[in-house]
Amino acid sequence: MDVVVRCQDVKKTFGTRTALQDITVKIPSHQVVGILGPNGSGKSSLFRLILGLNQPDSGEISVLGRKPGWNNNHQIAYLPDRARWYGDHTVEGAFQWGMDLLPGFDASKANELADWMEIDKKMRVDGMSKGQEARLMLIMCLARNVPLIVLDEPFTGIDTPSRERIIDALIDRVTEREQTILISTHEIYEAEGLFDSVFFMNEGRVELSGPAEELRAKHGSMVELVGKMSHGGRGR
Amino acid sequence: MDEQEIGILRLGLDFSQPLYEQIVEQMRGAIARGEIALGEKIPSVRELAHGLKINPNTVMSAYKELERDGLTETRRGQGTFITSAQEKVDDFRSEWAEQVIDEFLGKMENLGYTVDDIQLVIQRKKEDKE
Repeated sequence: MDVVVRCQDVKKTFGTRTALQDITVKIPSHQVVGILGPNGSGKSSLFRLILGLNQPDSGEISVLGRKPGWNNNHQIAYLPDRARWYGDHTVEGAFQWGMDLLPGFDASKANELADWMEIDKKMRVDGMSKGQEARLMLIMCLARNVPLIVLDEPFTGIDTPSRERIIDALIDRVTEREQTILISTHEIYEAEGLFDSVFFMNEGRVELSGPAEELRAKHGSMVELVGKMSHGGRGR
Repeated sequence: MDEQEIGILRLGLDFSQPLYEQIVEQMRGAIARGEIALGEKIPSVRELAHGLKINPNTVMSAYKELERDGLTETRRGQGTFITSAQEKVDDFRSEWAEQVIDEFLGKMENLGYTVDDIQLVIQRKKEDKE
């Protein structure tokens, strides 16, 4: 198994709050990987360490075989959980910005995705609905030819049609695949069938992980598992 | 469990069970019962993945399994088709039936039933049905 992210005894605190405790995981590459768990379970904190936006208090982390940081991030497309960057752009403007500044940004792929996700390229970003903006943000990530795509809560606050389009775009991305896609979500929605592997987080720990099909055979659906976890069960 | 129609296939997935097995089992059944005609084209991996909203890798491994069964064949550049050879379906069907029976006999023996006991039970079931 090739590994895209390796954590060894990783700890992270913010003031008195413990975000991650003793995380030791190997996240497999060339898969769609779900990082699942309730709000505040440490998913975004883990992603921020992967991007090198925060440093662990102790422990080791490597991403694509290197220490996370600015000199590694050209290989990663990241959708943060709170992102509003392109306010005074049109969609075309955002794509131009992508071509100028984002390594591996493929404008023809972006246009193709925009047509397919029904995003009008003349549209201004500050006039978009939340669902349209979320689709644009996702296009900015999926149009990049980079080995790792990291999507933090891409489905939250988005209406069902937009969510379905996002999932369809992800399915296509896997069909073409050379990439690893990490997706965090606290609600599974229609993404249930998308994951090759899943990591369940709770209270800053990884409580359960493995190939999605094996976990289904042992424990049932991902939705059921997340339900059990957020009610304090360990799911073992 | 909602059934989806994707091309010539009707599939319904239960997300609390492994998906790969469900696709294989449902397609095997439909082919063995003759619900899908010989030589028919089945949906591409991408089409089925979109239709069921699942990872294309899962569809791909299910399709590979059906090809190993001899129930489908891939024609380069054209897609995947149900085999056009009736005898392949018949062979698969009887092999599968054999497996199911062996499994059943094994379980019954484990419960202390002899083959004669089992025959009696089956006879009674048959009468109930008539």
